[in-house]
Amino acid sequence: MTPERWQQISRIFKSAISLDSEARAAYLKAQCSDDDSLRAQVEELLASHRRAGDEDFIGGLAAEAAAPLLIDDDAAGPTRPTLTKGQQFGSYVVLDSLGAGGMGEVYLARDTRLDRTVALKVLSSDISQDKRRMQRFRQEAKVASSLNQPNILTIFEFGEVDRLTFIATEFIDGETLRHHLHGKRLKLPEVLDISIQVLAALDAAHDARIVHRDIKPENVMIRRRDHVVKVLDFGLAKLTEKKVSQDEEESEAATEFKTAPGFIMGTLNYMSPEQAQAHAVDVRTDIWSTGVMIYEMVTGVIPFSGATTSHTIVQILEKDPVPLTKVVQAPAELERVVAKAMAKNPDERYQTAKDMLIDLRSLKKRLDIDAEIHRTSSPDTPAHEVDTDPGRRIVLLLALIAMAVVTASIFAFSVWRSRRSSPSSSVTTPVAPPVERTLTYWITVQKFKDGQKYQAPFTLAGEINFEPSYHIRVHIRSPEQGYLYIFNEGPPTAAATTEYVVVFPSTTANNNSSLISAGQEVQIPEKSWLEFDQQQGVEKLWLVFSKDTVAELESARQAASPQTKNLIADAGQNKVVGDFLAKNSIAKPESEKGPSLTTLKSPGNLLVYAIKLEHH
Amino acid sequence: MTQSPRQHEITALLAEWREGNQSALDELYPLVYNELHRLARRYMSRERKGHTLQTTALINEAYVRLVDQKNVQWANRSHFFAISAQIMRRILIDHARRHAYAKRGGGAQQVSLEEVAIVATDQGRELIRLDEALKTLGEMDPRRSQVVELRYFGGLNNEEIAGVLHISENTVTRDWNMARAWLYQQLTGSGAN
Repeated sequence: MTPERWQQISRIFKSAISLDSEARAAYLKAQCSDDDSLRAQVEELLASHRRAGDEDFIGGLAAEAAAPLLIDDDAAGPTRPTLTKGQQFGSYVVLDSLGAGGMGEVYLARDTRLDRTVALKVLSSDISQDKRRMQRFRQEAKVASSLNQPNILTIFEFGEVDRLTFIATEFIDGETLRHHLHGKRLKLPEVLDISIQVLAALDAAHDARIVHRDIKPENVMIRRRDHVVKVLDFGLAKLTEKKVSQDEEESEAATEFKTAPGFIMGTLNYMSPEQAQAHAVDVRTDIWSTGVMIYEMVTGVIPFSGATTSHTIVQILEKDPVPLTKVVQAPAELERVVAKAMAKNPDERYQTAKDMLIDLRSLKKRLDIDAEIHRTSSPDTPAHEVDTDPGRRIVLLLALIAMAVVTASIFAFSVWRSRRSSPSSSVTTPVAPPVERTLTYWITVQKFKDGQKYQAPFTLAGEINFEPSYHIRVHIRSPEQGYLYIFNEGPPTAAATTEYVVVFPSTTANNNSSLISAGQEVQIPEKSWLEFDQQQGVEKLWLVFSKDTVAELESARQAASPQTKNLIADAGQNKVVGDFLAKNSIAKPESEKGPSLTTLKSPGNLLVYAIKLEHH
Repeated sequence: MTQSPRQHEITALLAEWREGNQSALDELYPLVYNELHRLARRYMSRERKGHTLQTTALINEAYVRLVDQKNVQWANRSHFFAISAQIMRRILIDHARRHAYAKRGGGAQQVSLEEVAIVATDQGRELIRLDEALKTLGEMDPRRSQVVELRYFGGLNNEEIAGVLHISENTVTRDWNMARAWLYQQLTGSGAN
């Protein structure tokens, strides 16, 4: 933009800003009579002005917003290890530094053996020096990770390189709940969604007798692509505790929290009364912390927060926080749940994460039903709190359109079916040969060990018990021409909508075309092997074989791309796919199982079937 | 408060700078930078809720420490604040650069052991983008860019900004509105330019 243009725009902007909308339009028209682009630029700037005001853009101060940037230098202490970009560290190559904290540094790294990206946490040596404590932490963290609960961050490896202790974990592209909160409140459905997932993680961990001890928004990560919540750093809190007694085994309970300068005091705000007093802690300390966290999500306020450490501790021990419903509009049940979780006496709290989880789930269910009733009973009043967010409304609208599309196609399908199956309607016409779809598939398995192929590949028919070392190829063939779609559905997660990965067609499979010819053998993937998340549960490969193109699947797969690793990155489209599969799938197609082939037959012009791969 | 030789020096440098000696600024800059940086970190390492940092309080403290209070002049103080705003911007951007995981553009942030790292990563990136947009603005319109610098980085109020820039408070408000709208447009990618 030339300075002259800028001056011109700013002159008009300056005057237009003080006018009401009517006068403004007239003024702009007069000022930019023959220059549409000038007018557009001014209008955009005026719109930005309004939005910047609404969002309080740079309304605070830079130093406040970015204050945490300043702490790092002192926080990590003198023994902070530093790896540099490109450096080889054991079998990892450091890609980038992700940040530093009191316990060490975190890097983005590539595991060269398994060719995957990991987050590498290198613990500072003063923390890792205590071998015995390290050992206990390793045990706990490993157990938690091995639970394979989708809401617990997976740990890949513990190790030591050049006397530096490190932990390699899965890399989550997302943000912490702390960052997500950013000092504001969350809407109720989101609060419930996050809380339920955190409690699901705790429930699994507690069953394995693992207490997290440090539940706080910094330790809860929300994945960007699907909003799946991951609880980080199980067992890590142990490392920050400092034993007071000489006899370590006996006085497990007696702990004192390290308060080195720069060490994050935020931890304190979520600490239970028993923790603050260095008494014995059990699973109920996590219940407390979760309660505090929910309180914060709902109100935007941390319930126990004093000017200094000791003030905060006094509050934790003595203060009854203002009831939720007095701070914001919230259901009375939620207030009860939170108050129960934050009972000073552990015996009066929820005794298990499961109990709390059940209460929150039923609350969620009730709210969902209420919202649904509200929506259907008064479609013209957009009064319900849940729907005031325009973004959400668009998503809802898309979902509704998507449902309409699916409904229409189901209707068409059933009309076609009833015609075919109703003998009375075809009395005078000769009976057409039965229409059916036939698809044959088989699966080749290649085992991998340490990133290398291991043993010769073998072929399986039907469903398989899948092991982490298994990489597979799926082969499909049909005697008929038709349109083939294959989707991968992972094990169920706590996420609201199931997500699908488009396995076929893709840019690397059948030139992105769903049409296959009679007798054509399709191999997926064409070159490499399919690898699934190492997550326990049933993985499904949905096969859809249709005589005609399936419009909704064609449009749904547009929402997937190599950038998203073929994951359908759109909730509405995932729902379209999910609904389509649910409505049309045939539980038990007629199948002929050969020693190495399975042939599926389904009446009609459409065959929908899920191959189940069970993880162990 | 006892007067240190450093206070004399800085006071003198400020006066020189005010009278138009640009090399005084070069000498002043590192002295103020170090003091502000030290203070900012000390502020941050104190236990305090939510890590809020009061820029004005901090600059005030630096001012009291660095400048000879017996020879205080309003002009000196406003000049000190002007340079401090610039320096606070530098300090924050320096830190942000060290932290930002800018490689994947608008992309990833990750898991970390501590909130510090995570918050820093993301806010750092935002700050860097703002800084860059502000530079572009400065090329087209230095005064408006300075208004943002003084207010957002220096924590000055409109009256103080008006004093530093020798313009009216109304002009400060108008400059701020325009600059903020433009920066918002740049950072959110809304708008044609």
